[in-house]
Amino acid sequence: MYRYDQIDQTLVNERVAQFRDQTRRFLAGELTEDEFRPLRLRNGLYIQRFAPMLRISIPYGLLSSVQLRMLAHIARTYDRGYGHFTTRQNIQFNWPQLERVPDILADLATVEMHAIQTSGNCVRNITSDHLAGVAPDELADPRPYCEIIRQWATLHPEFSYLPRKFKIAVTASPADRAAVEIHDVGVRLRRGPAGEIGFEILAGGGLGRTPILGKVIRPFLPQADLLAYLEAILRVYNRHGRRDNIHKARIKILLRALGVEEFIRQVEHEFQASREFAPRLEDHEVERVRAYFAPPPYLALADSLADSAAAAPAYDAWLRYNTRRHKVPGYRIVMVSLKKHGEAPGDMSAAQMDALAELADRVSFGMVRATHDQNLVLADVPQSLLPAVWRELEALGLATPNIGTLTDMICCPGLDFCSLANAGSIDIAKQIHARFDDLDYLYDLGPVEIKMSGCMNACGHHHIGHIGILGVDKHGKEWYQITIGGSSAAPAALGEVIGPSVPKDQVADTIARLLDVYLRERHGEDERFLDTVRRIGIEPFQERVYETSATAA
Amino acid sequence: MRRVLRRRELVTDDVCYPGELAGPQARVVQPAAQFLAALSAGPAAAAAGAILLGPTDEIGPLAAQLPRLTLIVVDFPKIGEGRGFSQARLLRQRYRYAGELRARGAIKRDQLFFLARCGFDSFDLDPAEDLSAALAALNTFSVAYQDGSDAVVQVRRRASHA
Repeated sequence: MYRYDQIDQTLVNERVAQFRDQTRRFLAGELTEDEFRPLRLRNGLYIQRFAPMLRISIPYGLLSSVQLRMLAHIARTYDRGYGHFTTRQNIQFNWPQLERVPDILADLATVEMHAIQTSGNCVRNITSDHLAGVAPDELADPRPYCEIIRQWATLHPEFSYLPRKFKIAVTASPADRAAVEIHDVGVRLRRGPAGEIGFEILAGGGLGRTPILGKVIRPFLPQADLLAYLEAILRVYNRHGRRDNIHKARIKILLRALGVEEFIRQVEHEFQASREFAPRLEDHEVERVRAYFAPPPYLALADSLADSAAAAPAYDAWLRYNTRRHKVPGYRIVMVSLKKHGEAPGDMSAAQMDALAELADRVSFGMVRATHDQNLVLADVPQSLLPAVWRELEALGLATPNIGTLTDMICCPGLDFCSLANAGSIDIAKQIHARFDDLDYLYDLGPVEIKMSGCMNACGHHHIGHIGILGVDKHGKEWYQITIGGSSAAPAALGEVIGPSVPKDQVADTIARLLDVYLRERHGEDERFLDTVRRIGIEPFQERVYETSATAA
Repeated sequence: MRRVLRRRELVTDDVCYPGELAGPQARVVQPAAQFLAALSAGPAAAAAGAILLGPTDEIGPLAAQLPRLTLIVVDFPKIGEGRGFSQARLLRQRYRYAGELRARGAIKRDQLFFLARCGFDSFDLDPAEDLSAALAALNTFSVAYQDGSDAVVQVRRRASHA
């Protein structure tokens, strides 16, 4: 992974000192709430329903065991013993004290971590494929480019006060595990005619109140121009994006108002006009950063998954659902499920973090990854160790064999923590877990992605769930709008609303009805829920859900 | 008397903004639109000197007049306003404006480092701000990942100019 040099470390240390002084001024009454808000937000600090919430950056989801132990330390020392992994591969702590946040940041800086730009109207954490570097299907490792973009975007003097937040995702896989189409800018690695690496650039994607998929604005951008082109996009957005209405301030609205062609014309004009001054990404810098992501020292191991079977049905299920093929023979990718029944999706205790860090040191080169669907990954596990790893994860409550199934839900903190939420999410997750606790039934359903948000801001990405659940407030009561047919994987799609929202106690029931239709209509077990929706449309699902008036509002 | 930061010094201001009463020695600033309108009546009609740019003002129409200007004031009317950062970059880089470039408005010490790196060398801050502390804030960071107008920080040599 990337390691800080003197410049990186100095910058983070100086940011801690700056934030410590900003916090001091606020507590001393030298800064008003309105003045402090944009300062604390751009350092990941929200004031929430019950306490501040601190969001810590995990660049493109990559964590060392040392860093994971530090997160455990922070959970124990400053919070209530747990943390919450987010849909942007970051982690949030829900109970820190404002006065102690500078100390948390100082602790983080000792392990090359920070909370810079995890919120606020600036360029946010760069997200990427959680299987980068180990996936058999990738064109090249996207992480060096993520790190280069991260550095370029960090404390950028011109683009630190944008109209609204700005999210960039990078993928190098045709399967697009980074959901680049729902980002303000999506970067897809491509090969040019001579085999050289370049990028397809998308812009204008995003969820929230106005979900839109990004449009391709540059089919092939040479590597050297990556940062110059991003600067051109950001400059057009910074100057012309709307600032009068927070709900119309994302770049997707500008792109829609101008039209794609005019937007492209403006970006290309800016790109050409700024060439003399824009940063040029030199090959030697790419190579410098790439060296940090060299493959770990893999051993020559036999590819013998079958031999390692432990002859326990529970192990077989875990092996099938929670592990993935690795590009190096003899190794396996292990998904660590944070979707255990009874726990809020994405939550992890300090004890689990410490234990997983220790396990990663023994079996996966001391590295862990966070996924955008709120699980973790041990990316480089020797196949022969899988039964032992399974037993350890099982003992930690991290081996629920449900990755990719209905109960592997994405879920925002909802009304339980978030001051924006209209409705609870965690309760609904628990309701779904309770209703669908029969693993054989889940396995028969195959891959079904449920994504849930407690409000229109769509932190839970409900628009791109195969089944999306959106919490809405109706006269002070929590109701839920259901969409089906969304997908984050290429080709991405936004779900369609099936009809009037349903009351809280009928969400799991409604999902059961949707699944009834799927099981009745599917063409064999290989046709996923999403495929069936795409083939037959939403009407048969609507009919079943609303056939009695009980669920209709 | 208004106090401002100019070229890293705390000084008494000699600038008169639109709507203010001009003293005998004041540098009088006129809105960019007014300057351009006067210009259309003939170059002599537009007093050379100082103009005020609002967040939506374009730089292009002013390009030919920039050599006649010794002061450009960029307005930051609200907390979080960010368009002025790009206006400064354009003025300094693409249009090679070399005169005094001032940021004024809802800005505090927390924005100064970025403003200076975008090319501002003159700052009229929120009246409640402590100007000595603000002066020190120009040195908040000793390193950066991007090139900037000030040469006081160590910049990652990721990128060189074409």
